Parts: sequence; structure tokens; C-alpha cells
Amino acid sequence: MTLPFPLPDPDFEPTRPFFAAAARGELRIPRCRRCDRLQWYPPERCRACGSPELEWVRTSGRGTLFSFCVVRRPLLREFAPLVPFATGLVALEEDPTVRLVTRFVDCELEALHPDLPVRAVFRPLGHPRIAAWTRVVPFFTLA
Amino acid sequence: MSAAPDWGHAAPIERLDGEVAIVGVGEGDHSKASGRTHQEIAAQAIARALDDAGLEPADVDGLLYSGGMGTEFGAKEFHAHFGTSHEIAAAPRGGGMVWAGTAPVAAVEWLRSGRARHVVNVFAVSWATQRGEMVGGPGHFHAHERMKRHLEVPWGWFPQPVYFATIARRHMHVYGTRPEQLGAIAVACRRHANLHPGAVMRDRPLSLEEYLARPMLFDPLRMEDCCLISDGGGAYVMSSLERARDLRAPLVVVEGVGDGRSHADVYWALQGDFTATPQVFSAPAAFEMAGIRPKDVDVLALYDPFTIVALMQIEDMGFCAKGEGGAFVEGSTLHFDGGRLPYNTHGGLLSHAYVLGISHVVELVRQLRGEAAAQVPDAEIAVYGGYTGAMASTLVLRRE
Repeated sequence: MTLPFPLPDPDFEPTRPFFAAAARGELRIPRCRRCDRLQWYPPERCRACGSPELEWVRTSGRGTLFSFCVVRRPLLREFAPLVPFATGLVALEEDPTVRLVTRFVDCELEALHPDLPVRAVFRPLGHPRIAAWTRVVPFFTLA
Repeated sequence: MSAAPDWGHAAPIERLDGEVAIVGVGEGDHSKASGRTHQEIAAQAIARALDDAGLEPADVDGLLYSGGMGTEFGAKEFHAHFGTSHEIAAAPRGGGMVWAGTAPVAAVEWLRSGRARHVVNVFAVSWATQRGEMVGGPGHFHAHERMKRHLEVPWGWFPQPVYFATIARRHMHVYGTRPEQLGAIAVACRRHANLHPGAVMRDRPLSLEEYLARPMLFDPLRMEDCCLISDGGGAYVMSSLERARDLRAPLVVVEGVGDGRSHADVYWALQGDFTATPQVFSAPAAFEMAGIRPKDVDVLALYDPFTIVALMQIEDMGFCAKGEGGAFVEGSTLHFDGGRLPYNTHGGLLSHAYVLGISHVVELVRQLRGEAAAQVPDAEIAVYGGYTGAMASTLVLRRE
């Protein structure tokens, strides 16, 4: 099945556990069973020690706002109903080298600054121009 | 110097011993949407480069071109456009971006072995004509890369203006870089483009005040921080130093090449140093091969899809300390007439044309010959910095 751009395919194997966990309100990230390092984006083998033994572990969902862009003119028409919106990166509390792409929600754009604490919230992805797709994914808000 | 950072490395590269010269340069017409194909533009650029060198299409026996992005111009296209049928060694190891800087390394193998005498590197695009959100053009690759599609695009982190606005904000946060410092880069490029007869923005001046008054559509970046989308292209011809001496162009010699790689692949989100480029690895290697230091550089051209990419490369190549790029580029530092580091003297991707770096090299050759529109007096050493995100290249040229 091909989903309309820019929706993710929840059955795409490398990220399937991420979306399945999000549906339960959990932020899960792959971790190497041998060396305990978190891995992002999901690799086939541990980037540090090469082990294929990876498990998706639940994280705190906390981190810091690493950086962001406020989009006032989207280059994709699917995002036009959302502007202005803030999209950027979160450095995860458990390992700040793990940076998650997100959109920042439930806060004033003017209140956003790099290095502020943030936490995950779980909402339907919902692209206003793409009807009937309400799968829950993680977003972030100021903690 | 401190130990090299661990988030990337300098790729091993063939040592060029001043044995390759650039003997001809040419450009296609640069424009907004023109209705032309990239093949037509590439052929026009090659014809002009050969005319510049005093060579004929039948003299070209080596061809380097881009292997991706729908911009191929190989031997088949060459013969179709020039009506030739001779043997041409051809490989997709050239083109623009980083390959505009590393093509001499690909060429030297053929020049040394005698497989080729005159090697053309060509790159052309018709992205202004093809402009569409997902079909061709600069966003195409990123939209279709599977991890980006699943872990970036759904949250609106796409395409390049968003990536580089995010990088710019982090650079501002960590180093105190200010909008007027990014603006100084855009203004210098525009001023140079205003002097260049082939620049798309030749008739559109831009002052720092005007820059600052423009809306931040990709906050903290403005449209003026972003490259154009253009039709256009360029080509340069390489020969052995020995053959170059018999040709008509003043000698411009390849003195050094560097090739830097980031281990984060194509994912900007995961760069080991979010506010640095692989020039950290590429530039020192190229400068060492050429036997120069940053202060020896008379004119610099950087692959500049966004002002922040130029700023980071200026720091990473050692023209100033990391984090001090903002203060360094303020005022007239980058201007051709008296600036401390004349930079993108044709206007760059921001104001000349978005032809992905090939015109940067053409411009540097013209500077070293004394033929540029915004001529740096007595330029002897010129440096090109190429960039793709995961890669950077550095090319050092010297006038003999």
C-alpha cells in the first residue's frame, strides 16, 4: 500500500515498532543488547559494536529542545493549513546524541528556545489535507 | 592543533603533483525557467569551454558527469549533441556539488595512463523549468529517502530550507551568530552578482537593511538566505600540465584536492557536530597537498545553498576559529574589492545561479586568469569548497 505523501507507512519494518509503541502512548527507541547504546535512526546492527541484537526500549519521553525552524511558508501544500508551525529536533534525556525530529505543539512559538526541557505528547498526526488518517504519533511540548 | 573530531574522516585521495591543469571553462546561459533541457544546457557549456580552450569536440576523449539527480550527460549525449563518434572514456564521477572539486582526481587516472588527453567535467540542470514539489529538483531525493519519509517528513521537517534554518538557529544559540551576519554573506553575493553579466540576479540589488526587512519564512532564515532555483550549467576542461602549455589559456594548475566524509550519511538530524561541515576533514587535506595555509587564499568560492552553509564552511576550513564566523564575515570581509577574503565573486548559488557549484570553479579559473567581472587584483591562489551534507570537497587552484 502506498500512502499519500507525506504520511509514514506504519508497516514499514524498520520503524514499525516506533509507530506501534506510539499508538500505546510510549516513546520507544532501539537499544543494543550487547553494549546498551541507544540507536537512532533504527539500524540493522548496532552502530557501535555491530551486534544485530537490538530491542526497542521505552524511554522517559523527556529531553531538551535542540533546535527548530518556524515555518511560515511551507514548501509542501499538505502543510499549508498548519502554518506557522515549529518543527525541529529534540535531544533525548537518556542519550542527547539521539535526536528525534518532531513538531512542537501546545505552546506559544515565541516561548520556544534551544535547550529548554520538553516532553513527548501523543496526538493524531492528522494532516488537514489528507482525510481519514488519525494514527497517533509522538509530538513534543515544553515541559 | 587538537585531535581530529570522530564524527567523520578524510577519504584517501590520489595525490596530484601539480600535473593537472584546467585549460578551458564555459557556462550555459543561466536563467529562471527557460524551457531548455539540461542536455542542451550542458552541450552549450561544453561548446563554450572547448572554444575557450581552443579545442574541438573530437579532441575530448574523457568525460566526467553527474551520476544522479536526473542530470546525466554521458558519452551518448555528447555524441548526439556534437555529431561525433570517437572513443570517449566516460564516468559518473564528476558534475557539481562535491564532485566539481574532486573531478580532477577522477581525470588524473586517465591523463596519467594516456587513456585521455582532454577530460571535460560537466554539470547542468533545468530545475527551474522542471519546478515541481516532488518531481526532480533538490527536494526529490529527500522526499523519497525511506527513513526521512518515516521519521522526518511527517512532522514537517522537510525540505532543505527547514534543515538549514534548524542548523542556523543552533549556530546562533551556541555561538551568538546574528541575522545581520548571515545577511552580510547574502549582501556580498548579491553585490558580486550585480557586477556579473551572466548572473540571474544581476539587476536586483540587495542592501543589508533590505535583507533585514524581509520576512523570515523559514525562521530564522529569509528567502535571501536561500539559493535560487535555476536553469543553467557549466563545464571545465582538464589536461596534463604538459599539454596545457601548448594550449592558449593562461595556466591554472590543480594544486590540492580534499574529500571529507561525515558518518551521519544523508541525515542532517544526526550529524555528529550539528553546526559543522565535513570541511573539517577535507580542507586540511587539500591545503596540505597544496602546501598552503588559509591565509594564502586570494579568492574563495563555496557551495552555498544557504548562507549558514557558507558560514560553517568558512569556519571549518580554518579562515577563522569555530564559532567566530559571524563576526568574521561582517562588513566588507567577503567583498571582491578590498575584502580580507573575497568570496563567491560571481554571486554564488544565492545570486548567480543554482547550478550546484560548477560555475564556482569556472569563476575561480577566470579570477586566476584576470578575466572575472568582479576581479580580485592579482589573484594567485583560489579555493573551491563543495558540500552535500554527508560530504565536503576542497579544490585548490594556482595561477602559474
